[in-house]
Amino acid sequence: MPRILTRENAIRWAPFMVLLALIVLFTAINPSFLSQRNFARIAIAAAPALMVAVGVTFIIVMGSIDLSMEGVVSLTAVLFCFLMLALGGTLASGGWVAIPVILAVGAAIGLVNGFIHVKLKIPSFMASLALGFVGTGAAILLTGGDIVKFNDPTFRALLTWRILGFPLMVYVAGLCLVLAWFIQSHTRLGRYFYAVGGGEELAHASGVRVQHVRMAGFSLAGFFYAIAAILQVAKLGQAESVTGSNFMFMSITSVVVGGVALWGGIGGVWNTLVGVLIVAVINNGMVVIGLPDFLQAAVLGLLVIIAVILSTDRRAVAFVK
Amino acid sequence: MDIQRLKPHFPWITLLVLVTIVGIADPSFLKPANLLSLAGDIVPLFIMALGLTFAIYIGGIDLSAQSMANMITVVASVYLAPLGIWVAALCILAGFTLGTLSGYLTTRMYVPSFISTLAVGGICFSVAQWLSGNRALNMDATQRNETFGWMIGRTGIVPHELFIAIGLLAICLLIERRTVLGRALKAVGAGELAAAASGLNVARYKILAFAISGGLAAVAGLLFSVKLSGGAPTIANGFLLPAIVAVLVGGTPLTGGVGGVLNTAIGTLIVAVIRASMLYFGIAATQQQMVFGLVLIAAIALTIDRSKLRTVK
Repeated sequence: MPRILTRENAIRWAPFMVLLALIVLFTAINPSFLSQRNFARIAIAAAPALMVAVGVTFIIVMGSIDLSMEGVVSLTAVLFCFLMLALGGTLASGGWVAIPVILAVGAAIGLVNGFIHVKLKIPSFMASLALGFVGTGAAILLTGGDIVKFNDPTFRALLTWRILGFPLMVYVAGLCLVLAWFIQSHTRLGRYFYAVGGGEELAHASGVRVQHVRMAGFSLAGFFYAIAAILQVAKLGQAESVTGSNFMFMSITSVVVGGVALWGGIGGVWNTLVGVLIVAVINNGMVVIGLPDFLQAAVLGLLVIIAVILSTDRRAVAFVK
Repeated sequence: MDIQRLKPHFPWITLLVLVTIVGIADPSFLKPANLLSLAGDIVPLFIMALGLTFAIYIGGIDLSAQSMANMITVVASVYLAPLGIWVAALCILAGFTLGTLSGYLTTRMYVPSFISTLAVGGICFSVAQWLSGNRALNMDATQRNETFGWMIGRTGIVPHELFIAIGLLAICLLIERRTVLGRALKAVGAGELAAAASGLNVARYKILAFAISGGLAAVAGLLFSVKLSGGAPTIANGFLLPAIVAVLVGGTPLTGGVGGVLNTAIGTLIVAVIRASMLYFGIAATQQQMVFGLVLIAAIALTIDRSKLRTVK
């Protein structure tokens, strides 16, 4: 009889159990937590965060890290608003062109990130952190520190048009998640991510062009950050240089809490979905049961530490920096 | 002349070249009073960079430094009234303790330092928001002047911050060059596995490095809040990037082991001159972050020791 309570199984199902436990806990304290309206609120908060987290999932699966999301989301959000306004200010009048353009811009920024990391041989956390600073700086430069309003009702339908009580952007995020899952599980690139994460030298020896895979991964991440930026603009109706703030801490916490190992090779986008929901449920639940919101950063901090400690196989690690 | 032998001299040559360029463009820049006040203004940043040097010297990173300084500005503003001068001790203790926590998580719990310090930074942010009630706080002006006025005055044209900076630099230099701790940190930075194999208690020294980093970030926050006569949970945002830049352009690479606190002093001066020259050449403050981001990438690429990284993750 196969053992059910193995370490692997525990790790695989723990995030999901935590999510269920949290929902039960918050509902027990305040039953209004378990309402369709509140779930819609959680889903709206989680949709852009999910896109950022899915992007960084690919990077973490490769065993690297990407800390550029705040800058990239801010920059693409600001660019998106400017481009939309330049193209007539409404989706119908030709502004839709801005969407593919911004997705391409996101992918291009990611590619630059990957290029700096791979070709200049700079550890990814630092290369991406620096590029994130550049992105935020560029967003400040473009806006001059101001807020760019963008309020096309057709575009804002992403937030206002509800199907079964959930706004359109939740379904868009869901579709993008399926796309990410497809890339992860049914394409060669997706398999290469796991090969690189599982053992870079082995992957290289078996003929995987590791450098190309890494650059493609960062580019893909940039693409998803751009989706997050567009959803964020739809949610807020504006963009500024701080549109992307908090995404770094939140997305990495989500990915790690969902069970994607920081060492690479383990976990995937479904883990990320669970992780994002855990973080969103905690953030929302703390407000619903009346805890002050200043606790959120500390709770996320503790959460990510616990998740990393639990997911680390100490026998396999010689030392960490 | 071999480029590798020239490499250690790059930082101060860069500094001289930059000062010369700016000096030719704007001769009044070279007036001693201007140079001294420029150096005085950068001291909080320098102290933070000094602490970061220890974390980077052992091949780690401390991303909590900025949140730590933020939190300390709030702590200092809140507790100056009841504690008086002892608030300084409280601040440094808080920084040292949270730094120890980062170090413990990194070494004993195998949480990579960029994650552990990010998480500790989150804790700092929460504490800062809680203590301040999410408002900007002001210190009582007379009490500040009585207690900490000596930190920010001037003797002749020399700002007092410079004495603090030189004092701390001397202490750090002593730690680095003349103590067992300094030797141990160099060994860890040069090759952690070899250091462990030769019987060094690597974990203890690494924890100490993070603790020093936290403690100095706290001193930076304290000085900053005294200068501004107040504190807020996001007041020191914008410190982290130039502080990391200062360490790296000074010549302490991300891979650790070489460089040190004296390099960071030169690196900080380079940052100060870049800032001043950007203002002079009409590059607006809003563009500085972008420039520093690019300088950071260039500095890492030039200093990093690629032979230490078997695979670059």
